[in-house]
Amino acid sequence: MPPTVQHVRPIIGMEIHVELSTRAKVFAHAPSPACTLLEPAGANVMTDELVLALPGSLPVLNRRAVELSMLVGMALGCAIADLAVWDRKSYFYPDLPKAYQISQYADPICGPGVVEVPGLDEQGEIDLDADPTPIRITRAHLEEDAGKLVHDCAGGTGTGVDLNRAGTPLLEIVTEPDFVSAAQCVAFARELRRVCRFVGATLGVMQRGHMRFEPNINCELTLSDGRKVRTPIVEVKNLNSFRALAGAVDYELRAQPERYLEDGREMGVGAKSTRGWDDERMTTVAQRDKEDAHDYRYFPDPDLPPVVVDAAWRERVRAALCELPMSRLRRYVKDYGLALKQGEQLVEERPVCDLLDASVEAAAATGMDPNDAGRQAANLLLQAGARIANERAQETGDPVLPSDLGVNAPQIAALLAMRAEGAISADGVDTVFEALASGEHAGGDARLVAETLGVIIVRDEGQLETWCDEAIAAMPEIADDVRAGKVQAVGRLIGDVRKRSGGSADAKSVREMLLNKLGQG
Amino acid sequence: MSHSAVESVQASLDVIGARNGELNAFLQVFEAEAAARARNVDAGETLPLAGMTVAIKDNICTRAGRTTCASRMLEHYESPFDATAVERLEAAGAVIVGKTNLDEFAMGSSCEHSAFGPTRNPWDASRVPGGSSGGSAAAVAAGMCDVALGSDTGGSVRQPAGLCGVVGVKPTYGRVSRFGLVAFASSLDQIGVFARSCADAARVLGVISGPDERDATSAQRDDTDFTGQLGRPPEGLTLGVPSFARDEAVSADTRDVFEATCEALRAAGVSLVDIELPHAAHGVAAYYIVAPAEASSNLARYDGVRYGRRAEGVGSLDELYTRSRSEGFGHEVQRRIMLGTHVLSSGYHDAYYVNALRVRRRIKQDYDAVFARGIDAVLTPTSPSPAFGIGEKLDDPMALYVEDLFTVGANLAGLPGVSVPAGFASVNGRELPVGAHLVGPAWGEAGLMGAAAVIERIRGATGRIATA
Repeated sequence: MPPTVQHVRPIIGMEIHVELSTRAKVFAHAPSPACTLLEPAGANVMTDELVLALPGSLPVLNRRAVELSMLVGMALGCAIADLAVWDRKSYFYPDLPKAYQISQYADPICGPGVVEVPGLDEQGEIDLDADPTPIRITRAHLEEDAGKLVHDCAGGTGTGVDLNRAGTPLLEIVTEPDFVSAAQCVAFARELRRVCRFVGATLGVMQRGHMRFEPNINCELTLSDGRKVRTPIVEVKNLNSFRALAGAVDYELRAQPERYLEDGREMGVGAKSTRGWDDERMTTVAQRDKEDAHDYRYFPDPDLPPVVVDAAWRERVRAALCELPMSRLRRYVKDYGLALKQGEQLVEERPVCDLLDASVEAAAATGMDPNDAGRQAANLLLQAGARIANERAQETGDPVLPSDLGVNAPQIAALLAMRAEGAISADGVDTVFEALASGEHAGGDARLVAETLGVIIVRDEGQLETWCDEAIAAMPEIADDVRAGKVQAVGRLIGDVRKRSGGSADAKSVREMLLNKLGQG
Repeated sequence: MSHSAVESVQASLDVIGARNGELNAFLQVFEAEAAARARNVDAGETLPLAGMTVAIKDNICTRAGRTTCASRMLEHYESPFDATAVERLEAAGAVIVGKTNLDEFAMGSSCEHSAFGPTRNPWDASRVPGGSSGGSAAAVAAGMCDVALGSDTGGSVRQPAGLCGVVGVKPTYGRVSRFGLVAFASSLDQIGVFARSCADAARVLGVISGPDERDATSAQRDDTDFTGQLGRPPEGLTLGVPSFARDEAVSADTRDVFEATCEALRAAGVSLVDIELPHAAHGVAAYYIVAPAEASSNLARYDGVRYGRRAEGVGSLDELYTRSRSEGFGHEVQRRIMLGTHVLSSGYHDAYYVNALRVRRRIKQDYDAVFARGIDAVLTPTSPSPAFGIGEKLDDPMALYVEDLFTVGANLAGLPGVSVPAGFASVNGRELPVGAHLVGPAWGEAGLMGAAAVIERIRGATGRIATA
C-alpha cells in the first residue's frame, strides 16, 4: 500500500521587488515612472541615450537610489555594506536594452537582517498580544528594472517594446525560508509595504507593480511509513497583489503533497520549477523553464566604481529613519486604546500618523493626558478627517488624506483642549475642524474660529436657565413625565434647549439643570 | 597660428581630396560643415586650438554624420550626441574635418578588419597603417589634418602611431571621458591623440582631459596642462629598459632603430637603466581574456531591436538576434565575442577571467615598483616590427595579437603611454617609421610628454609628411 501524507510542514521564503521612487532612473537622467502616480504620456517617453542603450552611452549612479535602499535595509534591521559592487547580469531579451542588467551579485548594499512580523490570530488578523515571528532577511540588493513587451500592437500584428520602466531602481529583498503560512507571507508583505512607504522608498502602488512578490514554496511531508521528504521548490513569479500572494501560496501548499503522491519527486538539484499565477482560476501554472538561459555570466561592471559607504553617509541616511509602522500601531492600540482596525487604518499613511503624533505632542504640552489626546485626535482624523478627505477626493479625483486638509497639529491640540475644558461640544469639534479645513478659515486660530462660528458652550447660567424654563413651558406633558420619574424623557427637553441655544449649550450641563428643575437631580 | 581657420581647413580638405581615394583613411569627410565651422572660428574670439583640423575615429560619437565603428551593424547609425572629447575640441576652436577608418569596433591591429575596406599606410600603400585607429594615424601622417582622436584599448593609438611615424598618446585611465566613445573593453578603453609633434599632442590631450559627470570612471583631476616639461633637458631623465624590449619577436629592423635610439639618448645624457617587468610576458594573454570578456557584454546591445542592422524576414526572436548579429558583425568581432562569452561562462569564469584579473594586478604592481625606484618612464619599441603588408597576417590572428606586446601593459595597468617616432627602417627600398614607446606613472602625462619630446628632439624623426 502506498504511503499517505500524515503531516505537511510548509517551508516558504520570499523575494520581493520594490520599485524605488527616485525622480530619475538609477543610472540615467531620464525620469522614472515610479516617482509619480501619473501615467506616462505614451510608450518610450521616459528614455534617454542610456535607457535606449545607444552606442557611447554610460551609466552614472543616482546616489539617491542607494540611500533609499539603505533606508529600507536599516528599517529591516539589515547590516549596511561598506562597499557595494555593481555586476552585469547578461541575457538577451527585447525589454533589456543593454542585454545585461546592472545588479549587485556578490556584494549587495544590504546584508543579513531580521524583521518581526506581527503575531496573527486564527483568521490571519494581527494579534498584538501574540508573539511576533522573526523573519530573517538574507540580503537586499539594488538593480535596474527591465522594460515591458506590449503584445498585439501595430494593429495586432506585432510585439512592441516600451522602455519607460527600463532602468527604474529596483530593490530586491530576499528572505530566508522562515514563513509557515500564506497569512504570514501576506502579513510580512503588508508590513514591508508599510515600512517602505514610511521611509519614503516607494509609492507602493500595487496595481502599478511597485511591489512584486515571488514566494519560494515547498513542504516537508511526514508520510505514513514514518519517512520525512521534501517536495521540490516552486517559485511563483511576479505576484503584484496580496490576494495573489495568498492564493499562490495556499494553492501550492495544497497541490504539492498531491503532486508528490503522484510523481514521487523530491527537492533537489534541477527539481526547482517556476510557475505563474492565474488570477481568474486562482491556480498556479507551469512556466516554460529557461534553463539554457541561466548562465548570466556575471562580472563586475567596469563602467561603475563600487559604492563606498562611509560612516558619515550611513549616519546621515539613518537620521532620516522614522518610527516604524508596527511600533506606532502598538502605541495607538495599547496606549491610546484604539481598535486594531483604527490603528491599522492610521498606519497605512505616514503623514496621517505624523499629524496625529504631532497633535498629541502639542496637546501634551498644554497639560493634556497624551493617551486621551491620542484617542481623541485619532478619532477626529479617522471620522471628520476621513469624511472630509473622501469628499475632497471625490471632487478632485486625486487621493486626499486627512493630513492633506490644511489642519495642523496646534489647531487639533487647541480643539482637544477646548473640548477638555468643556468649552465646545463633540459636534462643535467637528464643526470647527471642517471650518479649518475649508478655504474660509484655513490656518485660523481654532479658538477664534470656534467663537466666530458660535459653538463655544455658553457658561452663562442665567441664559441656560431661561432656555430650560422655556423648554419646560413649551412641553408641559414631557416635563410632567420626568417629574413622575420617567427620566429618559428628558432627552426631548435637552434637544429643545440645544436648539434654542443654536448648539452652544452643552448637553451635559443642560441635562443636569433640567433634572434639577424637575426634581430628579 | 599664422593661417586662418578657413585656410587650414581648405588645405586639409585639399589633401584629403588628393589622397583619401588611395589611403581610405576617412570614411566620411565633412566638407561643408568644416568650412562653415572654420568661418565661425575665424569670426569668433581667439581660442586655444583655433582652426586646428581634427579627424575623429569613427567609434567616437559625433552629431555630424554617422558613427559606424566601421561595422555593417552601425553602417547607417547617427548619434544624437557628441562625445565629451569632441565637444571639448570644438569648444576650443578645433574644426572636425571627418571620421576615420578603424578595425571594426576597434578590434584589430591593422585596420584591415573594417567593413569598409582597409586603410593603407601613407609611407607605403601596400602596407597596413596599424590599428585599430589606423585611419586617424594615416590621416595625420599624410597631412590630411593636424591632429586626430583615436581610442586605445590595447595599443590602438600607439601602435598605428608607431607604424605611421606620428606621435600617439594614450592618457592615464580616467583622464579623458569615455562618454561618447563606443565601448569595446570599458576598463581598458581610453581616447588618445595623434599629432605630428609632441607639443600638439600635449596641447590637444590637455583640452580633452578633465572630469566629466557623464562618465563615472573619469577622474576628478584638473591638472590638465601637459606642456610644462616639453622643453626639459635630456640630462636627469631616467628611462628603464625592460629585458623584454629585446624579445625575440622584435624584428632586426626595429631592433636596430631601437638600439640606435638608446645609444643617442645615452650620448645626450639620458640615463638608461635595465629593469625587469616580471609579468609583462603574460600581458597579451591576460589582455585577450579581459578585453573580449568586456566586449562580449558591451556588444550584446546590438541585437537588431532598437537601431542598427536588423535581419529581414525572421521567424522568431532568436532568429532576429542570431541573423542580425551574424550579418552585422565581421569575423574578428564575432571571434572576440565568442571568446569573451566563453571565458565568462560558468565553469570557465574563474580559470580564465579571474586569473587574468590576477595577472592584471601583478602587471600594475610591476610598473608601480619600477616608478617607485625613480624611473621616469619605461622605454621599449612600440611594436615588434615596422608596418607589414596588407593581407600578410590576416589568416594568423595570433601573429596579429603579438603586435600588442609592448602596448597592452599600459592599458592593463591604467597608465599613460606614448609612441614617438624614433627613426626609419629601410625595407625593400622604402623608408618605414619605427616608434619608441614610453609608459609613465599614473597622472604623469606632463612628465611623459617631456620625455617623449627629448626623444623627438634627439632623433628628429617627427614632423615629416608621409608621401608614398
